Amino acid sequence: MGKAIVITSGKGGVGKSTTTANLGTALALADKKVCLVDLDIGLRNLDVILGLDNRIIYDIVDVAQGRARLHQAMIKDKRFNDKLFLIPAAQNTDKSALEPDEVKEIVDQLKDEFDYVLLDCPAGIEQGFANAVAGADQAIVITTPEIPSVRDADRVVGLLEQQNLEQPPMLIISRIRRHMMNDGQIMDVDEVTRHLSIKLLGIIFDDDSVIRSLNTGEPIVMDENNIVAQGYRNIARRLEGETIPLMTIKQQKEQGFFGKLASWFKK
Amino acid sequence: MQFVTLKGYKEGYKITLDTAASFADILVELEELFAKLQADIKHDIDKKVVFDIDTGDRILSLDEKQAIEKQVSNYPRLSIHRITADVIKIEDALNIMESRNIHINGKVIRNGQVEKVNGDVLFLGNLHQGATLQATGSIFVLGEVSGIIHAGFNDDSQAIIVGDVSQAQQLRVGDVVNIVEEEDQERLLKALVYVNDLHSLEYTTLDKLKNLRPKLFLKTGGF
Repeated sequence: MGKAIVITSGKGGVGKSTTTANLGTALALADKKVCLVDLDIGLRNLDVILGLDNRIIYDIVDVAQGRARLHQAMIKDKRFNDKLFLIPAAQNTDKSALEPDEVKEIVDQLKDEFDYVLLDCPAGIEQGFANAVAGADQAIVITTPEIPSVRDADRVVGLLEQQNLEQPPMLIISRIRRHMMNDGQIMDVDEVTRHLSIKLLGIIFDDDSVIRSLNTGEPIVMDENNIVAQGYRNIARRLEGETIPLMTIKQQKEQGFFGKLASWFKK
Repeated sequence: MQFVTLKGYKEGYKITLDTAASFADILVELEELFAKLQADIKHDIDKKVVFDIDTGDRILSLDEKQAIEKQVSNYPRLSIHRITADVIKIEDALNIMESRNIHINGKVIRNGQVEKVNGDVLFLGNLHQGATLQATGSIFVLGEVSGIIHAGFNDDSQAIIVGDVSQAQQLRVGDVVNIVEEEDQERLLKALVYVNDLHSLEYTTLDKLKNLRPKLFLKTGGF
């Protein structure tokens, strides 16, 4: 019996879908069977992030309304030897096309088959949020270190706490700009974690390569040496119960020409 | 057997109902009593009789009260002042206890949430921005507060707010609302907030508490 984890944030644009895709891929690379469920009905994009958009035949609304069987809607990602699957969202209906009970039923079926079921929640706290949370055992809240995002995350954590999940929500702080955090221009990791007072699952740095990977449809996690990929791999291992220290935020300054010259003379 | 007794006191008349009697028997006897009373005061044209009814260890339902009131209304010169009992319902008793207790609250109250408390609160938790702590009584703050504090909810301007509320967004007591401005923050580090005679919020220091709300200390147990 697997775990169903909802990935949510309240605010849009903080990296829910990116995290769902990359965390799912990282878990699949760690030899876990993973199914991603896109619940952003009407505005699906998890399929695009994974580069699977051309293979959609049926979607989750088809399954809920009995037009397709669950296995017909599952898209296999061939890169990961039968480890990673996606159930895409519908495009031509709105979020009220699904009911929480229907999502729960689908997720319960998936849990029998997979180690992890990751539910990609739409932004906002309306029906789409209720749908995504209904099937989940655990929750991951994503926030960036900006106050508007933290404020919305706070609201969402409050809502999640009323949902009788197995354990309190966990936190991922994403899109961290290291130089700004080092300069103290934005809230630092401790501040955000202390404010939300939930367990910190991991931090993800902001990196241009993520945007590039979104365009190519290859999750960034596949690039082993990338700093964002390491972040997601660490989170996947922490989900598996390993203890791994956080990545350091301190960044070595690139030395300029004169700096190099000076250090040469210091020798 | 007599189930209904009428006695005269300095303050007026009082009818006591026997707790063991059935209500039907009581109604019959009351009817007789009222008729007799009416006859007794016939000679005195101006005289009106007002009395209390004591139901002893019995709580009258609304219907039963109305039945008695209806009986009395047949006698224009008789009237009921009030109906009292020696007992109250457990629910009411709990409510009274609730509103007199000081509740210790250590919750994390998050953006958008409203925590409602009946009575006074000693707040040890964390009130985030955008969250509201609402108490019918006073609020004593030891925890962290960066949201909205509302004491004396439902118009009790006797309620007070005590503690470090310098980071709060708004302070409300009864129907008075203050937005916390930056220049006030220093005065609110260890403040006593109350509604003054001009019906606006005033920030002062804790040592004024004894003069402002002398009864508060009786309530907290220090007789």
